[in-house]
Amino acid sequence: MSVALEHVVVLDLTTQLWGSMAAALLADFGAEVVRVEPHDTQGDAGAHGTWNHTFDLVHRNKKSLAVDRAGERGRDLLQALAAKVDVVITDRLETELTAEGLDYASVSAARPDTVYAQGSGFGPKGPDAGLPPIDELAAARAGMMPLLPQPDQPPVYAGHGQMYTSVMLAYGVVVALFHRKKTGEGQRVDASLLAGNMYGASLDLQAYLAIGEDRLLQPVSRLDAGNPMSGVLYPSQDGLWIAVTMPDTDRWWPALAEITGLDVADPRFDTHDKRCNDNRLALIAALDAAFKQHPAAYWRQIFNERQMSADVIEDYEYPATDPSARDNRYILDLDDASLGPLRTLGFPIFMTDTPARLRANAPRRGQHSAEIVRELLGYSEHDIAALEQEGVLG
Amino acid sequence: MAGPLDGIRVLDLTMWFQGPVAGQHLADLGAEVIHLESPKGGDFARGVRSIKALAIGDWNQYFLVINRNKKSMAVDLNTPDGKEIAHRLVETSDVFLTNLSAKALEKWNVTYDELAKLNPRLIYAMGSGYGPYGRITKPSFDMTVQALIGVMARQGEPGQPPIYLGMGSGDAMGGMMAALGIMLALYAREATGQGQFLDASLYGAQTFMAAPTLQAYLATGNQRYARPVSRTEPDNPLWNTYQAKDQWMFLCVPNEDAPWRALCESLDAGALVADPRFADPEQRRTQATALVAELDTRIATRDASAWMNRWTKAGIDASPIVTFKELAADPQAWDNDYLLNAHCEEVDREVKVRGLPVGFSKTPGVVETLGPQLGQDTELILFETLGYDWDKIGELKAGGTIL
Repeated sequence: MSVALEHVVVLDLTTQLWGSMAAALLADFGAEVVRVEPHDTQGDAGAHGTWNHTFDLVHRNKKSLAVDRAGERGRDLLQALAAKVDVVITDRLETELTAEGLDYASVSAARPDTVYAQGSGFGPKGPDAGLPPIDELAAARAGMMPLLPQPDQPPVYAGHGQMYTSVMLAYGVVVALFHRKKTGEGQRVDASLLAGNMYGASLDLQAYLAIGEDRLLQPVSRLDAGNPMSGVLYPSQDGLWIAVTMPDTDRWWPALAEITGLDVADPRFDTHDKRCNDNRLALIAALDAAFKQHPAAYWRQIFNERQMSADVIEDYEYPATDPSARDNRYILDLDDASLGPLRTLGFPIFMTDTPARLRANAPRRGQHSAEIVRELLGYSEHDIAALEQEGVLG
Repeated sequence: MAGPLDGIRVLDLTMWFQGPVAGQHLADLGAEVIHLESPKGGDFARGVRSIKALAIGDWNQYFLVINRNKKSMAVDLNTPDGKEIAHRLVETSDVFLTNLSAKALEKWNVTYDELAKLNPRLIYAMGSGYGPYGRITKPSFDMTVQALIGVMARQGEPGQPPIYLGMGSGDAMGGMMAALGIMLALYAREATGQGQFLDASLYGAQTFMAAPTLQAYLATGNQRYARPVSRTEPDNPLWNTYQAKDQWMFLCVPNEDAPWRALCESLDAGALVADPRFADPEQRRTQATALVAELDTRIATRDASAWMNRWTKAGIDASPIVTFKELAADPQAWDNDYLLNAHCEEVDREVKVRGLPVGFSKTPGVVETLGPQLGQDTELILFETLGYDWDKIGELKAGGTIL
């Protein structure tokens, strides 16, 4: 089996989880990703006897280059490397990159067909282009936080906005690589935390853009849902919650009425309009009472038997122990030589011919320094030994 | 301007959100995306207004935005002629994209096995609910998958109901993943000449979406990652939500001594610096609840704009927590094309739409048209792309195979 990103070499200048995971997605699909260690990552490896699970997730399948970035020779080396690779990916501030000669203008001057992927907080343009890439700041700015909780509760930071940005950055890279393959032209690709958070809020945001009414800025109580059978949460007897999404109520009302013990012919609920307009609140109250009559496991079994789109709201223990998450390789079981059995996140995309693979855990700091400068820059063993001695390579 | 995906044809047999939005990303970058729909009403999202689960404007912003830049063909795939049209389209397409059920795909003869025989270069992209080896067979919607993954159960304040991350939030991730998978397959095809099957399921996409905390839970089993954590019990009380006099804010200060002193100074809270309970990072962490209470009291005394003035000067990162109203007027969103104006035929005026999430310096995306009318391109595609003659087209139309 081949890999999707065969012969693609990536210089990974990322420092944050979402940026590093964008580069890891490229590595999972076969790119050779060279992670340039930040100055201060001596402590990256887990403390003795514990597993640095984040590090192994965000840097898996990568090679590690440790180079003294403060010194001129280290910088020259990085600039030379940036001019050799196919892709540069970064989430650092443009001002810092410019100071090191690793910004888009410098890199593309040395190699015009470079694909240069820049992750940022708020995008490359506009008055706040220079703000730091902090997901919480972008989430605060994207408008969704006040809408998530029940009314009168504090705004909610869910933390997933940055993950859209991560995929967007990887997507942008592959689009640009495809374009380069066809035309020979490189370019700069941009993805920001603001855009990620906005796409995460997609339908609610788009509803406000289309309608512009202040009521759409307020959280809606679950007991005031627009459609009692779609996107609504009900508590079951044992305190676990049920999520119901059966938007086509004409189709599903007979089955739902039957399993909840409601009268399918109840004249208050016998048309879609009555269920969703005239007697909406009465139906929500009736379903709220009905779901409390049985525990969650009872409801799950019925939903499965009837093939109804509803389920129990689980916590992370569900995917952690779900055999189908293993079968799909969304979660992997590892057997580490020193740490024993481990569970880690796998791959979100299944491909038959060019599947993602776990080839290696995160590298040790500087594990591949010599190999990288030998293979990509053609340095001799003698050069390498000198650079190591002088502390340029670590 | 030429898009990076010019010349790529995508047959988009999708419905609702997850599938269509994947096609949207490709169409924004120049791919020819043909939304293949039933002549009887088309994509169910065309009728979303009546569902009442989401407020819909005087134009159908649900359907029209995620199907922008696309063509529409209305073909009855239950008929032999309709199946023939689908197969002939597949022969000329690069990508087949779907999020329909296995049952529907079998009924219409458009399974991977079937289509790969017609076109070995075809990339068959599935956006399923539970993945190729999923064991759940019932219809999947974003929320029912989010329910299983565990992301809903860990949000908000303890004791409150679980929280869905927003309408279509997981679908949007699934769509983005499918677009990435398609590009990986297109790139690989340049080398191999072969197409393949891929699936970017809601389940897989949402495990990625949950990565920052799910990975920690998988590794440690620590309930703190799986349960709601109150804002009064944060790991770092300086990196937390606070309510100013007029609105909530996000304060993002590292729990280190120098920024802590700068924060206290900005709050006119010299007494806090001297408070032995908060003397060092470890104390501030273990005394988080007490410190949140102290900061709550102080931050509640002024408006967010007053704090922003002080904090910007002091180099402290913070932001008001705004609503969509402020976002819709935010120059940052407009300058970067994250929001765009587009002409909407349905109401014959400019409307605001979610724009282009990824910037390309040489080959930027574009929003040329909002979603197509049902079947608006059927006849022209049959004639120009597939070479049907007008007599045959008239016959198909009269027989109801096409709209």
